[in-house]
Amino acid sequence: MKHVRRVTQGMFLVVFFFLFLQTESKGTDELGYPVKLFIDFDPLIFLSTILSSHALAAALYLSIILIVLTMLLGRVFCGWVCPLGTLNNIIGSMKRWPPREKARNWFRVKYYILFFILASSLFTMQLVGIMDPLSLVVRSFSLSIYPAFNYSVNAALDAAYKLDVKGITTVADYVYEISKKTVLAFQQPYFTQGVFVGLLFIGILALNLVERRFWCRYLCPLGALLGLLSRYPLLKRTASEGCNACGACEYSCQGNAKPGDPGTWMPTECLYCWNCDDMCPRDGVSFRFSVKKAPAKLDLGRRKVLASALAGAAAVPLFRATPVFKSGYPDPGLIRPPGALEEREFLAKCVKCGECMKVCTTNGLQPTLFEAGAEGIWSPMLVPRIGYCEYKCTLCGQVCPTGAIQKLAFEDKAKVKIGTAMVDRSRCLPFAHAIPCIVCEEMCPLPKKAIWFEETRAMNRDGKPVEVKQPHVDLELCTGCGICETKCPLVGKPGIYITSIGETRSKENQLLLG
Amino acid sequence: MERRDFLKAAAAAGVGLAIPDKLNTLLHAATTAVTQRIDLAICHGASPAAITRAAVDALGGMRHFISKGDVVVVKPNIGWDRTPEQAANTNPLVVATLVLMCYEAGAKKVKVFDRSCDDARRCYVQSGIPLAAEAAGAEVSFINDRKFKEVAIGGERIKSWLLYTELLEADKIINVPIAKTHSLAKLTMSLKNWMGVMGGPRGRIHQGIDEALVDLALVIKPALTVLDAVRILTANGPTGGSLNDVKKLDTVIAGVDQIAIDSYGATLFGMTGNDLGFVRAGARRGIGTMDLSKLSIKKIEA
Repeated sequence: MKHVRRVTQGMFLVVFFFLFLQTESKGTDELGYPVKLFIDFDPLIFLSTILSSHALAAALYLSIILIVLTMLLGRVFCGWVCPLGTLNNIIGSMKRWPPREKARNWFRVKYYILFFILASSLFTMQLVGIMDPLSLVVRSFSLSIYPAFNYSVNAALDAAYKLDVKGITTVADYVYEISKKTVLAFQQPYFTQGVFVGLLFIGILALNLVERRFWCRYLCPLGALLGLLSRYPLLKRTASEGCNACGACEYSCQGNAKPGDPGTWMPTECLYCWNCDDMCPRDGVSFRFSVKKAPAKLDLGRRKVLASALAGAAAVPLFRATPVFKSGYPDPGLIRPPGALEEREFLAKCVKCGECMKVCTTNGLQPTLFEAGAEGIWSPMLVPRIGYCEYKCTLCGQVCPTGAIQKLAFEDKAKVKIGTAMVDRSRCLPFAHAIPCIVCEEMCPLPKKAIWFEETRAMNRDGKPVEVKQPHVDLELCTGCGICETKCPLVGKPGIYITSIGETRSKENQLLLG
Repeated sequence: MERRDFLKAAAAAGVGLAIPDKLNTLLHAATTAVTQRIDLAICHGASPAAITRAAVDALGGMRHFISKGDVVVVKPNIGWDRTPEQAANTNPLVVATLVLMCYEAGAKKVKVFDRSCDDARRCYVQSGIPLAAEAAGAEVSFINDRKFKEVAIGGERIKSWLLYTELLEADKIINVPIAKTHSLAKLTMSLKNWMGVMGGPRGRIHQGIDEALVDLALVIKPALTVLDAVRILTANGPTGGSLNDVKKLDTVIAGVDQIAIDSYGATLFGMTGNDLGFVRAGARRGIGTMDLSKLSIKKIEA
């Protein structure tokens, strides 16, 4: 059974990576693959999103399948499907463990984390994405691991090209073409918090060297939710009469479900890995469907449950008494992707999975740190100096699993303002230096350009008149896409820049009378 | 190839192939010598493919420009995330016809690429150019940043710049721009299309665009240029986006002299070459002829 499970885990991991790699523009309007499928099946995101925003994206109803499945079969998702679980498995098996390694008894911690998250969701603060395993794994790969992988391959190829030896260059060309078509990103992705997000992820994987599946056993809030759902599973582990409590199974148990004694097996902790069945020297273990009560109850302690929920509720005012939530004080740099809901509603829905940042064609969508408050950490914001919002692209709304970024048809997206451009006359070449330049206007993608010129005669140092076209922004037309800022030839600090002012989604963040 | 196979193939392909290469060239030279020298062929007609073919044929046919075994770069404008109807990129059928004609003339390989301004993937798909050019047998690729090389230009505004090696290494180059408005250069046609093979911060060349474009022409010398005016963009260029700004002319202009072509192209917009700084600069610096009265221009319907 162990082999069947491993093959299944491998298959799901391959599907996960395949969908991950497909989360990239091919130049068409749609991706053609259900790239957010794993998150669609996530009951934790389902539940916390209902609590925090009282509304759901239709695809999330798929997670009901997993809820029912877990109630019948227990935490099979953790043991057989979850990509983070499988990665934890792989890392854990890299260490040679002493034969009778004792497990910690911390399994309750993940339930307290779950109650904390759900209580804060109930009071509209959506922290689930920070620790939801699917959000976490997509985000970590999108923002950190995959960019690093691309960087290493590209650096190796660069080195090969630099050698400039004919044979090597040919091979490098060949390798480049193949990897470009298969595993490499279209362009090297860069993310502002790649190191931070990556180190956290590596830390989580490294915990497997402290104890196997440390995350799954002690920290995972989705595991906890699935654990709660599998208190009375139909599929149960039974040990035969002949069990002499030798303990062989105890040390092979992936979930620390205490299978050593038939009376102590905990269905809420069991990952259904079937290791105990494979290990049993007397071949006395089996998993069967039965309606009998499970042997061990999950006792979390009423006080601790209450305390963790109260802590979750208390975290809401603690996180929110910052100027980010002061009315009339929008962060000018917090440019949300087109289709993003009004900021409060957006935060109540965004699960920081990073799908939008992965799919962004220009790499312009970057994770926030504290721009949107602590609760908004790792949510998407456009940084136009890195990349602009491609006029006809609507991919971020298509991949958002919760509807925090609405899926828009191009005709609707074209009407959405995410901010407004302004010219910095102290830097702009035609304004400040009497040097011709029209790049912002040239790049402006609107059919009627939002940048217009005032044709004037400027004076240079020698008193000679120079004909220049000085750019002005049409505040009503400009959508804030940011291509002018991205392409402004003034590298570093630009001569034209976007701020969030005028964004369609906000009532407050406006400047025109109307 | 075995001799027998060769004979079989030759028989299958018709006698044309069996004529020795040198003799073929000789025949070709003889026929072109008889016909009158033509500087610009302006061809009008409903089919972009047919007018492209007729225009090039009027100049003596593709064999006049492409030799057997050449690696050819056909360089269209694929700069923008726009469809062919929006007239921001070169017409895909014009590009594909040129690719096809290159192969007919014996080219070994025809490459098509452009350094796009919008997201390259979207530009390539929306422009329809890769689809058409690949069907005609072209090797269409995205720009690979590793393939830029610093080239000494020694021009008036550009001393040296990063240019695309695949272009530099090609045996022959064909320029296929589209005619559009541009707020600084006024119009973008043949000369400005070469910004598409520039690496690095090319936006800076706007600081002295007229001379800079002529500088580029010092090192990039296309064997043939075909200006696409099947549709032209008359306002809000070079990006466009509104069909109200598109005018259908069903025309292509073929020639070797890029200054002459751009000078003629200006007339499509109610201007003259003299209105365009880069055309004036090109003529002044001896790159080509601006004065249309000094050119032999042939107008054809196809």
